[in-house]
Amino acid sequence: MPSEPADRISTGIAGLDEMLEGGLIPGRPYVVSGTSGAGKTTFGIQFLHEGVKEGERALLVAIDEPPSEIRENFRALGWDVGKIRILDVHPTAKSFSKRVSLVEVAAQRTVGALREAAPSAKSEALKQASPEISIQSLQLMLKQELQEVKYARVVLDSLTSLKKLSENMEDTKSSISSLLRYLSEAGVTALVVTDLPDPGEVESEIFLCRGEIRLHKRMVSNKIDRFVTIEKFRGSDHDTMPRPMTLSDKGLTVDARKKVAKASLRTLQAFTQYSR
Amino acid sequence: MTKEKVKTGVEGLDEMLEGGLIPGRAYVVSGTSGSGKTTLGIQFLMEGASKGERVIYVCLDEPPNEIKRNMQSFGWDLGNVQVFDATPDVMNYDKTPVRDVSTERRVLYFKDVGEQIRQTPDYSPVDVTINTIQEVLKQEMKVRKYSRIVVDSLTSLRYFYIRTSEENSSMISFFRLMSDLGATSLLTVQLPEVAKPDVEIHMARGEIRLHKWVDGRGLMRGVTVEKYRGSWHDDRMRPMKITSEGVVVKTASPVKEAGEADSFVDVIERAASGMEKASSDAQSNTSPPQGEPAKPVDNPKSSDTTDAEPKGSSSGGAP
Repeated sequence: MPSEPADRISTGIAGLDEMLEGGLIPGRPYVVSGTSGAGKTTFGIQFLHEGVKEGERALLVAIDEPPSEIRENFRALGWDVGKIRILDVHPTAKSFSKRVSLVEVAAQRTVGALREAAPSAKSEALKQASPEISIQSLQLMLKQELQEVKYARVVLDSLTSLKKLSENMEDTKSSISSLLRYLSEAGVTALVVTDLPDPGEVESEIFLCRGEIRLHKRMVSNKIDRFVTIEKFRGSDHDTMPRPMTLSDKGLTVDARKKVAKASLRTLQAFTQYSR
Repeated sequence: MTKEKVKTGVEGLDEMLEGGLIPGRAYVVSGTSGSGKTTLGIQFLMEGASKGERVIYVCLDEPPNEIKRNMQSFGWDLGNVQVFDATPDVMNYDKTPVRDVSTERRVLYFKDVGEQIRQTPDYSPVDVTINTIQEVLKQEMKVRKYSRIVVDSLTSLRYFYIRTSEENSSMISFFRLMSDLGATSLLTVQLPEVAKPDVEIHMARGEIRLHKWVDGRGLMRGVTVEKYRGSWHDDRMRPMKITSEGVVVKTASPVKEAGEADSFVDVIERAASGMEKASSDAQSNTSPPQGEPAKPVDNPKSSDTTDAEPKGSSSGGAP
């Protein structure tokens, strides 16, 4: 099979790196997909944590959860995630009054280390303005941030929410294309978190990303069973079998030597949400 | 057909196509992500380049520097393949003048493509539309007589370069242009996991579909010729592999039935469409829902994707 001479970037999960023939190809965007509770955010944090340990700069773009909650959740696991930088784009409650323009939102972004995350990271001024978050405004925020700090890893959690926040659907596809292009040009290795893709659609982020790691979660006889598959990985060979995954206080671990039990593959997904 | 056919660069596939493709026509290569469309497209161009033909790759989704690097793992030298980088620039979202791609970018050889992704100019990023791509192709064709064109991908073209209201008419006009150009072209189309036929499939003179699924044996690949105007073709699915030599198709045998009853992708799909009743009777559900006795594989995933009518398939998961 094709050989890959270049450097790889570790995902922070040894078994997954093994499945990826050493890790991800740096400087490219990748998708992490899965149902809710499948471990996508944990994977994202683990990926950033791995970078921080190596002395790299890592940025979490938090859309779904406020940074303070993320910090609490991972403190419970005993992880020191303090050095991960965080861009809080959690949308504020809509005030239904005059909104500030997108550019103004971008100008007011705040990036802080995760350890500094206060219960509400938003400035009062921003709250009053009740800005709109969209793919465009996020790209502008990232542009300013990446000009100042040279990040090696960026996690976007999650694109599914970001898409829902972006109201003009016709622009969404080209905006996603532009955002991913921007991340490539900036040379960061990016993980984009999404829900499970709709099997009847070609989702633009999955189509444009250079790889997709899918996290699966099933109920098998009253127990949650987890496994991981690599759906796509451009420019590299990869493991084609589903491999068992565990979620513990050490985060996610993958055993690339074991096969997933047939029973797990046959049982229907208990919590699958295909709503769209 | 008296004209000699054009070799695809994949021996087994040429056999399935009774010698190759009819020259001067546009063909679609379809498949889900990671099924090998780009690899097959590049292989098709390499075949032409090795015979001294002029060939061009129109790059719409991945940047050319990444294509170049990915193809190095096959040991291919793309140096003499020309590339038109039509990937869109980063959008500015400010009021800056946007210039047209056809005035800004030229076709170059893969050997001149750098290691890093091309950077968007700080001022006036370049706008790409289907019209400008057509212009570039027409201009290029006048200067150099290309015999092979690969557009990778038509899906990008539809998604990112055409206004929604004009999608179908633009696609039809694009196919017309491809015929007028006189080159043999392969246009790649990304299929969702459950396929819906689109206008580009109808317009193509033929469709080569690449299949990918997972069953008890791991990741399996197969290839079918779905349609081929003006020529006889193989009507069975043949096993395909992506090796260090690129795409390899074996025509000696059709795809064998999986030992495992159920592919897990299929389980997910049926769960999605609410077809899954209980895990115990999953086994009895595996045969293709529309009962095509000639189907060489007992693989619900592939029978889904070859089904021409999405609503007719009981395992269609489209919401």
